Amino acid sequence: MAAYSVSVALTGSGGAGAMTAGQILLDAASKAGFFGLMTRSMGPQIRGGEAAALVRISTKPISSLDDHYDVLVAFDWGNINRFAAELPLAASSLVLTDPEQGEVPEAISVFGARVGELPMKAISGTIPGGRANMVGLGAVAGLIGLPIDAVIAVLTAQLGRKGPEVLAASTAALKAGADAAAALPAVAKLPPHTHDGGIRWNISGNEAAGLGALKGGIKFVAAYPITPGTEVLEWLAPALEKTGGALIQAEDELASINMIIGGSFAGLPSLTATSGPGLALMTESLGLAVASETPLVVVDVMRGGPSTGIPTKSEQSDLNIACFGLHGDAPHLVIAPNSIADCLFSTQYAVYLAEALQCPAIVLSDQAMGQSRNIIAKPPEYPYVAKRVVAEANVENYKRYALTNTGVSPMAVPGTPGCNYVADGLEHNERGIPSSQASDHQSQLDKRAGKLDAFDYEDHWADVEGEGEVAIITWGSVTGPVREALERAHAAGVKAKMISLRVIMPVQPAKMAEALKGVKKVLVVEQTHSQQFYKFLRGHYDLPADLQVVSRPGPLPIRPAEIVSRLAAWK
Amino acid sequence: MTVQPNLTAQDFKSDIKPIWCPGCGDYAVLAAVTKALAETGRKREDIAFISGIGCSSRIPAYTNVYGFHGVHGRALAIAAGVKLARPDLTVVAAGGDGDGFSIGGNHFMHACRRNVDMTYIIMDNEVYGMTKGQASPTTASDWCNSKLTPHGTGISPVEPVRLALAAGANFIARGFAGNPNEVARLIVEGINHPGFSFIQVLSPCVTYRPEQREWKQAVHASDATPAQLIAEAMHQLAADDGFTTGVLFAGNRQPFMPERKITATFADFERKFES
Amino acid sequence: MSELALFLAHAIALEEEAAERYAELADAMEVHNNKDVADLFRKLSHYSSLHLADVKKTAEGIELPKLKPWEYEWAATGGPESTAAEDTHYLMTPYHCIHLALKNERQGHDYYANAGKASPDAEVRKLALQFAEEEAEHVATLEKWAANVKEPAADWAEDMDPPAEVE
Repeated sequence: MAAYSVSVALTGSGGAGAMTAGQILLDAASKAGFFGLMTRSMGPQIRGGEAAALVRISTKPISSLDDHYDVLVAFDWGNINRFAAELPLAASSLVLTDPEQGEVPEAISVFGARVGELPMKAISGTIPGGRANMVGLGAVAGLIGLPIDAVIAVLTAQLGRKGPEVLAASTAALKAGADAAAALPAVAKLPPHTHDGGIRWNISGNEAAGLGALKGGIKFVAAYPITPGTEVLEWLAPALEKTGGALIQAEDELASINMIIGGSFAGLPSLTATSGPGLALMTESLGLAVASETPLVVVDVMRGGPSTGIPTKSEQSDLNIACFGLHGDAPHLVIAPNSIADCLFSTQYAVYLAEALQCPAIVLSDQAMGQSRNIIAKPPEYPYVAKRVVAEANVENYKRYALTNTGVSPMAVPGTPGCNYVADGLEHNERGIPSSQASDHQSQLDKRAGKLDAFDYEDHWADVEGEGEVAIITWGSVTGPVREALERAHAAGVKAKMISLRVIMPVQPAKMAEALKGVKKVLVVEQTHSQQFYKFLRGHYDLPADLQVVSRPGPLPIRPAEIVSRLAAWK
Repeated sequence: MTVQPNLTAQDFKSDIKPIWCPGCGDYAVLAAVTKALAETGRKREDIAFISGIGCSSRIPAYTNVYGFHGVHGRALAIAAGVKLARPDLTVVAAGGDGDGFSIGGNHFMHACRRNVDMTYIIMDNEVYGMTKGQASPTTASDWCNSKLTPHGTGISPVEPVRLALAAGANFIARGFAGNPNEVARLIVEGINHPGFSFIQVLSPCVTYRPEQREWKQAVHASDATPAQLIAEAMHQLAADDGFTTGVLFAGNRQPFMPERKITATFADFERKFES
Repeated sequence: MSELALFLAHAIALEEEAAERYAELADAMEVHNNKDVADLFRKLSHYSSLHLADVKKTAEGIELPKLKPWEYEWAATGGPESTAAEDTHYLMTPYHCIHLALKNERQGHDYYANAGKASPDAEVRKLALQFAEEEAEHVATLEKWAANVKEPAADWAEDMDPPAEVE
């Protein structure tokens, strides 16, 4: 466990308000100057289901959950078995339980944590309008040393508009809980910390992706809702509407991918967001975008697969379909953000790349990043904005698919006189006329692959951190726990480096070879059942013979301790 | 939108020679489209012509405007995207009865419902010509000449104009490839009529449906004024024989187009993340 | 807008339509590798172009009405000399082509002859009859060609190869 952070789990069901309590806790941490991460776990019910808010508060920026929770506050024990596996506790952890809710269930007691009793329901009963979850929240704040003022400030901001009585009741309940904390067993406390004065953002991966799209220059979105990608679209709807763009709800994913092909053909950088099942529907038309060289971005917020799978849980198992799911030889961009903050950069970068290279870019995010909230330092401005090579008016003998040095040929935008053309999924010659000639097929295939390979992805192709003979190769959200594991390893004197791939496609063999110079052992860490990433690396990169794989499907997150112990055991 | 009055139908034809079988009704539709586009006075570069897959869908390549030859059944989605992104463009979509009513059926329904300003021309030959003559959704249930359905489909065919009306299309017309000038007139009216305009053109397939030569005898002009109310149109179309040509419905639904405005900056949205 | 201008507009449209449609058919026959008929249609298109040029010359200096395609007398169809699609076939022979052209020219002749009789305007009648005479000459030429062309075999439309699937 990291000494610079504290992890708290809040669970409850049937409207107990565990989520609200968790969000307030995260916001309060930010107000007090801390960084933080909140994920959540829920039952299948739309209302009243069992829920767990999983919050980690830290003195420095974090992008991973810790190995276990220091405190588990249970407002009740409704159906806790559903996600007990996601609430690992240590002997030093404290379970705060309400005696009115009965015995601590076996699934939790099996961890062997300490138990403290807090009669949240009873205490809240003494306060008119008081809620049990506020009592619990106050107790947590007191236990972990989070300044109660910060929590009250958040409450004021959030509940202020509900009226003074509501605010007073919640504040009173909060304070009652904090007072009760004094009598509870001690837990790990947050180190003393002052706000460094920097601007903090509380943002989810899906929101970050939306913002990255906006800043990258997206002006047209066709949307079809699907868990867990819907929030990308819901964030973009008002944002586009107010900044001169447009978002349309389509009838299905087949419509949304084709609508953005139309929007892009018409000249507007266009995007949609989906998850695995939607991406599967889109593959035919993604091929159309490749063949017709139409730029666009599809954000795939991955969830448990295959088929309907586990919509509310994370996994990295869309790697195969994102890279290889298009029929024919259809090279395209696959960009993988590796943290919630990186969802902003990577999506913005993907927009830039798609427009520059006139092809589709799939951004492989996942539910863990998409639906988790992260307190981060306000990100810098990135210089990547959509800029398409467009044809000038009245080009003599305009060839839409001219064979150029870079492989990128100027794209005529409707409205430009003298260079109208017909975009086509059929193979074509340089003019765009359908062709079944071998020479045309060869040269256009070379063009479409070559343009991607010739492009300079700078040092965005991967995050390469650290030095050593051991390298951990990973991607996406698994990068968070890997980074933290390596931090601990370094502290223990182990020299290891991390390579977290961002540009999954096109592959970067030269850069990988450079990054692997001197590396004798590779550990691949990923979240799939069939080792998709490992096989991808095997197929496209030269790797040292001494290699191990940590590969596990969702829904359980990979935790830093697992990687640390795997490294330690590997001699 | 500036008008350029001096373009002829020939100006709208590209130098690509159609691969349609001689005798195909689509030649007449191409003539009608090019005449119609010339009549609208719009510039070539301001027109986008979108199609799907099939013999009929080859048509954009034979015209001299911006075009997109998309995948099977999705022309209306691409066309909607083009128009919604660029309201200034004139958008025409075209395809066959299979492309439009089989795989494209869902998009057709929603396109009628969504009522984006565009014109959709279906060249209806009641067969899948490109793939060697299977029954299409508009083929009679007892047509037995396809290897795939040797006893006929046994399924009632789609009635395109009734479907369009029920789904909300704002302009519905039917033409016949044997009367290309009439088709041109309907296309011009469709383009000028706001909202989703649907034109079913009976366009015989000389190779797989040679009996469609008889359509010439069956086709007749509508003697009713185009209905403007849906109830009235439904009543008329209930008795439609499938061969009545002319404007069948001219409604007044508002076309769908999101307003573009700038009332906030990116920074306004970034600030909302501050905590 | 005078009767003469209206008539000339029709004559121009008639010849233009004929020239364009014949050219399209020539292209179509070329694409379908029916060279003999392609050449014939090319010739027919050329003759129509020549006649078109004549009519345009006659119309020089006269302001012609700008009619929409469906505003001509023949309204819905493509015009008297516009080939009906069903009269063509990728295997059609020169015999068919000439008879098709004959039908068109006769229709064209009848159109002009009718205008020559029925028009209220004397100048129109004169011009129409002149055009009708020219059409009559074309008809005569074509009748000669028809006399010299071989009748097709009974199985002229038979293709041993089945239709192809190209997409």
